[in-house]
Amino acid sequence: MLMVLGCDDGLTPRPTPDACPPGFVGICGTVTFRGGVPDSTDAVYIVAYATFPTTADDLFLFLPVPPPSLPLDSVGTSGGQHYQLPLPNGSYAWVLAAWKKVGLISPANADSLLREAGYYRDPSDTTRPGTVVVNGAGTDAIDFVVDFTNMHPVSFYFP
Amino acid sequence: MNALRTAALLLVAAAPLAAQRAMTGTVYGTARDSGGVAVAGAQIRVLPAGAAALTDSAGRYRLEGVSAGSVTVQAARIGFYPRRLVVQVAAGDSVRADFQLLANPLFIPSVIVTAAKRSQLVDQAVTSVALVGEQQIARRAVTTIDEAVDKAPGVQMIAGQVNLRGSSGFVQGLGSRVLLLVDGVPANQGDRGGINWDLVPVDQIARVEVVKGAGSALYGSAAFGGVVNLITRELPPGFHARLRATGGVFADPPHAVWGFRDYRGIQDGLDVAGSYGRGTVRAGLSAGARHSDGYRQQDRADHWQVTGRGEWRPAPATLVNLSGAWASDQYQVPEPWCVSGRCADQGQAFQPFLIDTANTGNRTRSDKGYFSAVVSRTASERTSWLVRGSWLRTDFTDRYPQRQPPTDFSIANRLGAEGRVVSHPDSLHTVTVGVELSHSSDESNIFSGDSILGTTRTHTEGAYAAYAEAEQVIGRLRVTIGARTDFLTVDGGGITAFLSPRAGAVWPTATGSWRASVGRAYRAPSLAERFVTTYALGFRVIPNPGLRSEDGWSAEVGRTWTAAAWLRGDAAVFFTRARNLIEPVFISQQAVIQFQNVQRAQLLGLDLSVVASPLTPHLTTTLAYQLLDARDLSSDSVLLYRPRHLLTLSADYAWRSFGLGGDCRVSSPFERDPLFGDRQVAGRVLDLRAGWTAGPWAVHAKVANVLNYIYNLGPRILEPVRTATITFTFSY
Repeated sequence: MLMVLGCDDGLTPRPTPDACPPGFVGICGTVTFRGGVPDSTDAVYIVAYATFPTTADDLFLFLPVPPPSLPLDSVGTSGGQHYQLPLPNGSYAWVLAAWKKVGLISPANADSLLREAGYYRDPSDTTRPGTVVVNGAGTDAIDFVVDFTNMHPVSFYFP
Repeated sequence: MNALRTAALLLVAAAPLAAQRAMTGTVYGTARDSGGVAVAGAQIRVLPAGAAALTDSAGRYRLEGVSAGSVTVQAARIGFYPRRLVVQVAAGDSVRADFQLLANPLFIPSVIVTAAKRSQLVDQAVTSVALVGEQQIARRAVTTIDEAVDKAPGVQMIAGQVNLRGSSGFVQGLGSRVLLLVDGVPANQGDRGGINWDLVPVDQIARVEVVKGAGSALYGSAAFGGVVNLITRELPPGFHARLRATGGVFADPPHAVWGFRDYRGIQDGLDVAGSYGRGTVRAGLSAGARHSDGYRQQDRADHWQVTGRGEWRPAPATLVNLSGAWASDQYQVPEPWCVSGRCADQGQAFQPFLIDTANTGNRTRSDKGYFSAVVSRTASERTSWLVRGSWLRTDFTDRYPQRQPPTDFSIANRLGAEGRVVSHPDSLHTVTVGVELSHSSDESNIFSGDSILGTTRTHTEGAYAAYAEAEQVIGRLRVTIGARTDFLTVDGGGITAFLSPRAGAVWPTATGSWRASVGRAYRAPSLAERFVTTYALGFRVIPNPGLRSEDGWSAEVGRTWTAAAWLRGDAAVFFTRARNLIEPVFISQQAVIQFQNVQRAQLLGLDLSVVASPLTPHLTTTLAYQLLDARDLSSDSVLLYRPRHLLTLSADYAWRSFGLGGDCRVSSPFERDPLFGDRQVAGRVLDLRAGWTAGPWAVHAKVANVLNYIYNLGPRILEPVRTATITFTFSY
């Protein structure tokens, strides 16, 4: 019995990773911050869309639910913040950071409470979002910049 | 002269009596089990054929007229090994002889009261029943009853929520699929439907009956996955007192990088109980308090409680029972644990002993109490009846200093009443019929159902039910069939009806019995699930007053057998198919979270328990294993928070006044954590214990989670670390 009990260490300390851990399914990367955190910040979420939203109604078709929020400790430093986004297998057309102002979101006030703060860009054409594929493991190096000085409201994409 | 003659005659006549007195003495004392618990009804006899007496409910006896000299006294009671003591009786004097009786682990308590809502022999129940006795509770030195229930076969607690055969999983405290009874009186919360395990102090519990599988045919909603009945101690005649003091320390985190405090965390508690009974009236009162520093950051907890109980027997066949309890808890909220960047993470991906700084200062005050009155009467040899009324109140306030609104509160009252008649028209038939009513009201700003956050509203729920179950003996076969109809109305609106039939049979064999049952189960959504109005993770959680009841069918086939004088086993294959399970759902189009009826699920499994006393009657070993295949049929995936394998091994050795024992619990890891995507580890916990009993004194020491294994069962909710506890008990 002691052998059975002893063959697993349980949870053990794990340094903050700079890559997807073994067994993880989703995407991982590093976010670097530009500018200071706005005063009214509630959270900065990272989300992924399987297809690029075409209307404001598609805005909440993101994964995962609930979305993880980014720690903001490294804002103002030269270092980046590692993130992990658990996602099911599939192709994701838009991976972005969404800044959220303090307050309760609804479709009616999404334009005033949400901003696109940065997204993963296609390495071959950095003006376009990059597509990320998840296939049963962690997809690494999905790095991008969160720029608090250049955020875009919902109406920027869906006027 | 006449006076002298008379005196002489009296002296002569009294001489033999005096001589006899001069040649005899008195033997007195107590009979207790190895946990120090009084054994009532034990026969104490001077061998070979001398004076005899039965112990009273406090375990006391007195034998008078015992011949002087060396005599052998035997104590015997069903369920225990007989014990003999040799005592020296001095003529005209008394001598004390205290018996410590060793329980026979293969003995099954003959009578249970939960499986059929009446007294019946345990091997006549059509569903599986697990029992946790007073002795097991005492030697495990637990502080709350859920710790003792956790080790029963087929039972697992996940962050305070009870799972019977994987029924509940982890549902954030809302909508338990297991019904809690206190002496047969329903005690699930009126607002959330969950269970307060510390409503009754553990020191007042005599035994726990756990009925596994769908119980809706007799108990209605909430008994979807089973029933847990806490049966409190009987009130003995005379004056009795009991004191229980507990102290313990928590181990530090096993890795320095997880350190979070520079002092040793402790826990302590004190319970005092007294009772008095004379003639037809008995009453008891207990009070207690506990404190814990907790084993994590922001994990302090304080608990106070008082309980009272009274019995009046106005006629030999009539019993009036009044009982009540009040408990108050104030505790910090240490969940979920912190991940990188959300606290002083020291470069770690996660810090299981620290909380997210956004949750600093979160705490809860929770007050709860109940009162019940039960009148029962055995009207004749064939008929008995019972009526009861009950009131359960829960009142909690969650404080979130960093959130708006900064408090959530809910005050719920649940009034219940039941009338029941049990009839035995002849020796082959038993019929149980009853009606049950309950009315719940909840005033809350989180379960308000209002579109404006923080608004206080009151909601009500009425439930009216009738049930009947008949048992017939056909040859050796014992067949049971019954049904319950529930009518439910919320806020005085339309009535929803639900029918829950059940059929079962028991077939005794030479070595045990076979049992089989099939029944329908349902669970009405709690007021909290219907009307919750809050926000989580930045999104509105909106109410859904139109939630429907969960429902399903459950079946099992079981076998109990005694393979040898030292070996007994019980096995059951069970199956449940459920639909409309209530889960929180994110609605993308509205960007809100809402409880909805979405899930279809199937639970298929094996439940096995074996009790053996090999080599010596002093050694008792038990094995409990559950294999569970839990499928979410909606998404064709594994149903979450249900371990596939759950194994518990226990061993206890008792020698004279000493006892040693241990439990080992292994549970396989859940496939994934859906909320955070964290890696899951298996649960592997070893508990060791020792006990010593001397007369009214008992000491129990326990080290739980000896290996200081760090794991979680709920999402980012750390399970307890190694905890050393010592408990002193004095019973008068």
